Amino acid sequence: MTNVIEVEGLTKRFGRLTAVDDVSFTVGQGEIFGLLGENGAGKTTTLEILEGFQRADRGSVRVLGIDPHSAHRDWRDRIGLVLQESDFDPVHTVTETVRLFASFFSHPRDVDETLALVGLADKARERVGRLSGGQKRRVDVALGIIGRPDLLFLDEPTTGFDPVARSEFWSVIEGLRDTGTSIVLTTHYMEEAERLCGRLAIMAKGRFVAEGTSSTLISSLGSTTVRFVLPPDLDVATLRSVTGATFVARDTMAVALLDEGVPEVLLRLLTWSQAHGVALEQFEVMRPTLNDVFLGATGSDS
Amino acid sequence: MRFLRLTAAQARYNLQAYVRSVRTVLLGLVMPVGLLVILSWVFAHQGQIAAAAGYQISAIAFYAGGLTAYGLMLGTFTGVMTAVVGAREAGWLKRFRASPMPPGTYLAGQILFNVLISLALVVVMMATASLVYGLHLRAIALFAMLCYTLLGVFGFTAIALAITRVITTPEMASSVGPFVTITLSFTSGVFLPPDLMPRWLVTFSNYLPLEPLAQSMQSALAAPTGTGFEGRSSVVLGVWGVLSFVVALWTFTWQPLRR
Repeated sequence: MTNVIEVEGLTKRFGRLTAVDDVSFTVGQGEIFGLLGENGAGKTTTLEILEGFQRADRGSVRVLGIDPHSAHRDWRDRIGLVLQESDFDPVHTVTETVRLFASFFSHPRDVDETLALVGLADKARERVGRLSGGQKRRVDVALGIIGRPDLLFLDEPTTGFDPVARSEFWSVIEGLRDTGTSIVLTTHYMEEAERLCGRLAIMAKGRFVAEGTSSTLISSLGSTTVRFVLPPDLDVATLRSVTGATFVARDTMAVALLDEGVPEVLLRLLTWSQAHGVALEQFEVMRPTLNDVFLGATGSDS
Repeated sequence: MRFLRLTAAQARYNLQAYVRSVRTVLLGLVMPVGLLVILSWVFAHQGQIAAAAGYQISAIAFYAGGLTAYGLMLGTFTGVMTAVVGAREAGWLKRFRASPMPPGTYLAGQILFNVLISLALVVVMMATASLVYGLHLRAIALFAMLCYTLLGVFGFTAIALAITRVITTPEMASSVGPFVTITLSFTSGVFLPPDLMPRWLVTFSNYLPLEPLAQSMQSALAAPTGTGFEGRSSVVLGVWGVLSFVVALWTFTWQPLRR
């Protein structure tokens, strides 16, 4: 598999803030690569360097074989972008907006076909100003894919979508991947990352703190998550000494990620709670999720 | 060929917005024509007005020339500034920059679009002046109007582009635009005959961009023979255009300034 993106030791500073700190990764052709992280983790800066909007302070960046900052028009012909925020002229129709963009590319997709692909076929003649937020976002996606890009960048593409629209959008993205488009995606939604991304990286404070497929990341945590509402007069240290498992507090919950000795831990916990009359509300034993990986990796657990 | 096709696509896109926006049609077309009708009617009894060059011209030539220049500035300067700042802050220009669109086609599209709407303004103004107020239009004068329109659109597009770097929001653009155009219009022999103004203000206005355009158009329409061509005006406007264009090339940004 050839790589469409090769990044080695990428570093970007803004004054004293190191936005991206010595990051290295590759993205293979036809792959969906996810960048996860909290706001300010460095996702968008990384993306903007890959897109050629900003220049790296250090490190080497190769996108479709060349340095994006010195990229020429032929390179841009093969790239599609869905930016985090963009707005359109409200008086133009959806078709007019997309058609203008189609004219820039050497092998554009058919406008009607593109609108059908993003689910805007019935809004083709509607003025952009009359669309809902989610529909405008689809116009964004249409502009991103109108040039038949080999590589598509999606910066939080489904923010503001309702669940139905989000799931439809995922099908569109999977369809693009199946036709050979490589995709780099940033997102806040773990479900989205788990569903779409072949591989993903979690960023915190400019660094990659975890990287791999979502299943390897999840199984690296352990086989089981135990959680329940942390009773008000109890702290996690007590739970640790009672059960022998590493419980952490996450919001109002007590959470432990276990790999082995699950029955023993559960037995000790339940015996203790019964003996002391402590109710374990919303008690759950389940497989870990990508969210557990994310919270663990970004240090959001206390 | 591709450059022309993409320029035409940009101009077409702008025209689609223009004809759908009540504001742009009102400001760029209806208002100058309305002012022409009102001012010519009010000052009709005066017959002659002392124009900037120091000679007497008919009231209708004064207002037809001056208000066409004014309308051109209003449409081009305010229009380009609000369009560019709005598109930039909406992330639209950033998208353009990231696409294979040749950057020059955006600029050329803006100029072509403004030439088209300015020519529409010239046609309507000349038709009104000639049919309603009996202004005698010589072919050479119409040709001169065409040349001055091209020069004026280039100049005011360049000036608008040159200041977009300091106009950070669309709101700012829509207040700076009218402020500049209204202030200029009162000192540039568009509404008020120059002999009503202090000498120093007239001299000062001679070196601002609107007065030369207004005066060129007035002279072309009023001159009984020849072209009415006067070199000083064209040079002043041309210098404004070229200098602004150089500044614009240096300072223009495709990225939103608000982050």
